[in-house]
Amino acid sequence: MNPAIIGLATLATIARVFMLLGISVVSGWILAYGCIKSRKFETMFVPLTNALESIPVIGFLPIVLVVFVGNLGGGLGVEIAADFLVFDAVAWNIWIGAYQAFKTVPEHLLEVSDNYRFGFFGKLKDLYIPHSIPRLSSNLFASFADAFFYISVSEVFSVGIQSASGIVRQSYQVFGIGTLIAQFLQQSDFADVYISLGFIALAVIVATFGFIRFGQWAVARYGVDTTIQIRHGTGGLRGQLNQRYRWMSRYASRHLPKLRSHSVDDFATEPGLSLRQRIGKYLLISLAALISGYIVFTSIQVALGIGSAEWRSFLALTPFLLYSMATDYVRVGAVTLASLGLAVFAGYYLAVHHRAAAAIMPGVQAFAAFPAPAYFPLIFIATLPILENVLPTLYSEVYIFILGFLSCFYYVFFDFWIGVMGIPSEFWDVVDNHELGFFTKMRRVILPASFPYLITGLSSTINSAWAGIAIGEYWPKIDGSHNLIAGVGMMKFIGANLASGNIGAAAWVALLFAVVVVIYGLFFTRNLMDIARKKYVVEEGVFAA
Amino acid sequence: MLQCQDLSYAFPNSKVCFKDINLMTGRDEFVAVVGPTGTGKSTLLRVIAHLIPATSGRVLLDGREVMRPTSRIALIHQSIATFPWMTALDNVKLSLRRGEVDDDEATRISEKMLDLVELRGVEDEYPKEMSGGMRQKIAIARALAASPEVLLMDEPFVHLDELTASALREEIYELVFNPESSLKSAILVSHNLQEVVMLADRVYVMNGSPATMVDVVKIDLPRPRSPKDPHFFEYVESLFKDLNLRESKA
Repeated sequence: MNPAIIGLATLATIARVFMLLGISVVSGWILAYGCIKSRKFETMFVPLTNALESIPVIGFLPIVLVVFVGNLGGGLGVEIAADFLVFDAVAWNIWIGAYQAFKTVPEHLLEVSDNYRFGFFGKLKDLYIPHSIPRLSSNLFASFADAFFYISVSEVFSVGIQSASGIVRQSYQVFGIGTLIAQFLQQSDFADVYISLGFIALAVIVATFGFIRFGQWAVARYGVDTTIQIRHGTGGLRGQLNQRYRWMSRYASRHLPKLRSHSVDDFATEPGLSLRQRIGKYLLISLAALISGYIVFTSIQVALGIGSAEWRSFLALTPFLLYSMATDYVRVGAVTLASLGLAVFAGYYLAVHHRAAAAIMPGVQAFAAFPAPAYFPLIFIATLPILENVLPTLYSEVYIFILGFLSCFYYVFFDFWIGVMGIPSEFWDVVDNHELGFFTKMRRVILPASFPYLITGLSSTINSAWAGIAIGEYWPKIDGSHNLIAGVGMMKFIGANLASGNIGAAAWVALLFAVVVVIYGLFFTRNLMDIARKKYVVEEGVFAA
Repeated sequence: MLQCQDLSYAFPNSKVCFKDINLMTGRDEFVAVVGPTGTGKSTLLRVIAHLIPATSGRVLLDGREVMRPTSRIALIHQSIATFPWMTALDNVKLSLRRGEVDDDEATRISEKMLDLVELRGVEDEYPKEMSGGMRQKIAIARALAASPEVLLMDEPFVHLDELTASALREEIYELVFNPESSLKSAILVSHNLQEVVMLADRVYVMNGSPATMVDVVKIDLPRPRSPKDPHFFEYVESLFKDLNLRESKA
């Protein structure tokens, strides 16, 4: 194929990804603000976001097919469906990051903003958003990588449709590099696969350097007294914002008595909102409600359309599905432990060795963003003979583990790295001055100081591991002749049922899974985040003179 | 005891902070460093503690070059650093986590240090629940618990009320000159000239850009010193004029 078309497709994908990153950030700020204003909203938001993040891209296919492709139809329906799948790859991690950042705004800054009666937009613009920028910068890394990682299963998707003549595979696609790679792989056109991967590599490397520079700037500007030097002057809008932010911090430290935090305002009664701002706010809320309502309504319609015999068969399957889910949780646990181990040791090393980080991090980032579904078959072909020989019954587990690891390790890795870089210089001085050993330093200072980042990263890693595992558990004809299929697994069940057109069964297990994830969100993420807010706000450890 | 020889430091952006600093503090000696804001006094303390490496020059402790951070030289920051997830006691015990003392002994030493800084009874409270002054006392107790030989203090009393600050000055002074204490010497950075004259045997004056050591004033007053002593006031005035004069020249 003409390389110019491949280049154009890469640009189309980049534009799609950045547009959805932008939407995710803005919606994340608004939702996170909703969480800190309303405990009820937070109670719904956290588990729901966890559930949405945990459901792999292919888990959304039933919704996408019914809501966007089926109802809207045409090119627009397919484009929105693909955008929704890319959004699924980028949004939840950013939402959780924004929520975590908003939850850990130092109390004295909140008091200043209350004292001066900042309104909805004032608080967002001058307090919450600046405070969230360092944390979001690390999440942007990961989200961008995730979008590219799954690009070949987001821009093109297919499903089995039961018809009179049997099961027919129907494929939907939009213009982009993910679609082209999927096509080239199908045609065994490896030359064009390599050219496409080259274009992705170029795009990813350029974007990586941009994100790294942005991350350094974000931590230097908006982190509280870190060891990183601020390189730029304080001119311009960013400078003014930063000046104001720092001034608030200093003012609060010096002059304000230590009072309990602010009262919980209602959205509607917040001071300082002009009529235009109120209209804008309600328009945003209405739009979000409309989209959510539409999706819920369509889902209910589908549920009501399922017959009682089918419901009975779903219920009979449930014990087996729960067992399959438990098996997958063991896999997720293994992947998470490996990711955490890598993050704590390698992430820490890179955070304290800036030159090594400058050399290694772009490579890690570029690697993380490389679409595994595009290159994994090549690894499979190269390693299968050895693994089949060494682990004849377990080799598929190794591949599932690798795919799971590749899909999620960088969340906790990047978050922990940014968290360690944000530790105040005074803390490093104390650690060095008292010659603390590595493990004491880790246990007493580094891990607690980066705890909020670690929770965000771990949460995203756990949630995202499912997507890699989903690909690994059910990949028919991975190299043209072999099937990579797990013995038991919930994701295998979803994949197999989608391929055979049994969308109802796939949707049923996805629903069961969502319930479990909601419970996990309630007991894990929210509780840990509350602890992080109460105890592990590192900025509160330095009492500025 | 502690000697800085031709010490220079430049920031990562290559801007020279200070150069050719020569400073010495002997056994049982209390030294102070004064200078206008921005001359790099706090940076000098961090370089002496080897928390940041000097661009050139060296620091000697008992004749041996300091090559890495050591708890023999303890630093108390101006911006108080306490760990919000640790209780007051755990914050102090942190400096005893090198495995040289068991946990019971560490607790005993830490409690003694908290007692010394008049924080007995709040061992189980968190820094967040305390005032700035109390947090600074925790940081001081933590530094003292490590049994340092040289104590570097960067405006350590700035958050304290005058009564507490005065009491703590006396405590630190007594620790420096107490034969049973591990402390042998102290270097204080302060803007408070009264505090400097009250405590120091010798005052180094930093000024200029990049900063250099422009003067050394020996405080030849008997101890205990009193601000009501006319000679005390003369020293304060002299230092004040010295700083003003050099600042206007600069």
